[in-house]
Amino acid sequence: MSNPAYLTITEASKLIAARKLSPVELTEAYLGRIGRLDSQLDSFVTLTAERARTEAKSAEAAVMAGKPLGRLHGIPYCLKDIYDTAGVRTTAMSRLLADNVPTRDARCQEKMAAAGGVLLGKNATWEFAHGGPSWDILFPPARNPWNRDHSPAGSSSGSAAAVAAGFSPATLGSDTGGSIRGPAAACGIAGLKPTYGLVSRRGVIPNCFTHDHAGPLAWTTEDVAILMQVIAGHDPEDPASADVPVPDYAAALTGNVKGLVIGVPVGWLETESPLTPATRAAFDAALEVFRGLGATVRPVTLPSLQQFDDTKKTIAVAELFTIHGKDLRTRPDLFGASLRYRIIAGGLVRAEEYIQAQRLRTDLARAMQAVMATVDLLMLPTSEPAGKLAPVAPSSLFTKVSFMTPFNVGGNPALSVCSGFNQAGLPFSLQIAGRLFDDATVLRAGDAYEKATSWRDRRPSL
Amino acid sequence: MTDTPSQDEIVHLARQAGLDLPDAYLQELVEAYGHVRAMIARLPAGRPHGDEPAHTFVPQKFLPVKE
Repeated sequence: MSNPAYLTITEASKLIAARKLSPVELTEAYLGRIGRLDSQLDSFVTLTAERARTEAKSAEAAVMAGKPLGRLHGIPYCLKDIYDTAGVRTTAMSRLLADNVPTRDARCQEKMAAAGGVLLGKNATWEFAHGGPSWDILFPPARNPWNRDHSPAGSSSGSAAAVAAGFSPATLGSDTGGSIRGPAAACGIAGLKPTYGLVSRRGVIPNCFTHDHAGPLAWTTEDVAILMQVIAGHDPEDPASADVPVPDYAAALTGNVKGLVIGVPVGWLETESPLTPATRAAFDAALEVFRGLGATVRPVTLPSLQQFDDTKKTIAVAELFTIHGKDLRTRPDLFGASLRYRIIAGGLVRAEEYIQAQRLRTDLARAMQAVMATVDLLMLPTSEPAGKLAPVAPSSLFTKVSFMTPFNVGGNPALSVCSGFNQAGLPFSLQIAGRLFDDATVLRAGDAYEKATSWRDRRPSL
Repeated sequence: MTDTPSQDEIVHLARQAGLDLPDAYLQELVEAYGHVRAMIARLPAGRPHGDEPAHTFVPQKFLPVKE
């Protein structure tokens, strides 16, 4: 057996079911790596080692007793530190929540535990999943395992860094404007922003209610599909939750993308936010892989990135102020400077302006679905490779457009997968977006791409 | 509103929002609000009366949860 810390969920589950790998052994492998190496990455803010050992022993006993095994039986995982965990501190990296110990688990955590998972701990995030990277908040920012001088992006920073580093095979993050896909891209792993409403947000500290998505990150798309099977589904306690059937995501991973029509928003990539030549070359190579697998590629035209960004951020700044207004009025010094800058002006946004932005969202979401009706998938890079980990002007949130935000506005599923490495050894990324509630086709394409390429064979060295 | 408000106007708006900020944070607000104003100014206006916002009230979402 290879290093157990580098096993995928799929591989580890088979070995556990066959009694060739103990959940205790697997958990100790991860705890050992975290203990030895996480001081280089700061990907965890809370480690639940003793709880993990107890859960792993229980999982091992169930295997030996021949009991039915859940989809994640004995599989370690971690959670972004905005998921409520009963009895375990949940801080959102903020001094405002330094002593916050929830009394109830987030819905997703309930499902992960019920599926037999073993909770290793809580991952670093940007403050309240929005302001960062920051050095003036509760914990330091996570680092990129491919190069510790580089950023893992945000806000699910520690989540992506932990998976890439072999500290955990699975984690859950959140994505309001790209916070699952950006870190997945920077760290060379797979991360899915599911269709809005497909995964419950109950018990996940909000960033912006109308654009928040909970979702999985893992080394492979196949593992992301397993995690989606566990966490997707209607939750009447989440007002945005969709009451729709959950398909068999693993069964959708046929490897066959023949006949799929892939749209490329060329105006975004060539005019509005031109790619660097290296990223363009990596993207073209990825499209060539899909052509080789029998898909066709054609250009599509969508509304401008700027319109998507302005709409989302106008809505977000108002909602964020609604969430944090009381603290901004009474103890603004407890916020990190980056988060405070990014939300404080929300108090001055008028109701008319917020609602006009919500009206524009209707137009943009319809435009997105109209284009999606003409293709099976959209593809584009998730982002450029990771930049240096250094303070950035908080105003950058308002001045830079993103390839990820349009799919938060539209609510469409969007997956980031690794699509190679640049000359500095940092990952390139491919973003695959699909029709509403057709997360299965997105996962099918991501899985087919990973299996047709060799990018999953390389791990960062720590 | 598309004109850039003066600092005094921003202080007034901030106080209306319950924000009585120290100078350092007030400068943050002035700068950040400039970016927010620019975003809002780019949003198309003059919409038909009946245009609905993206999030509307869906009463089925508030039916009692079955045990």
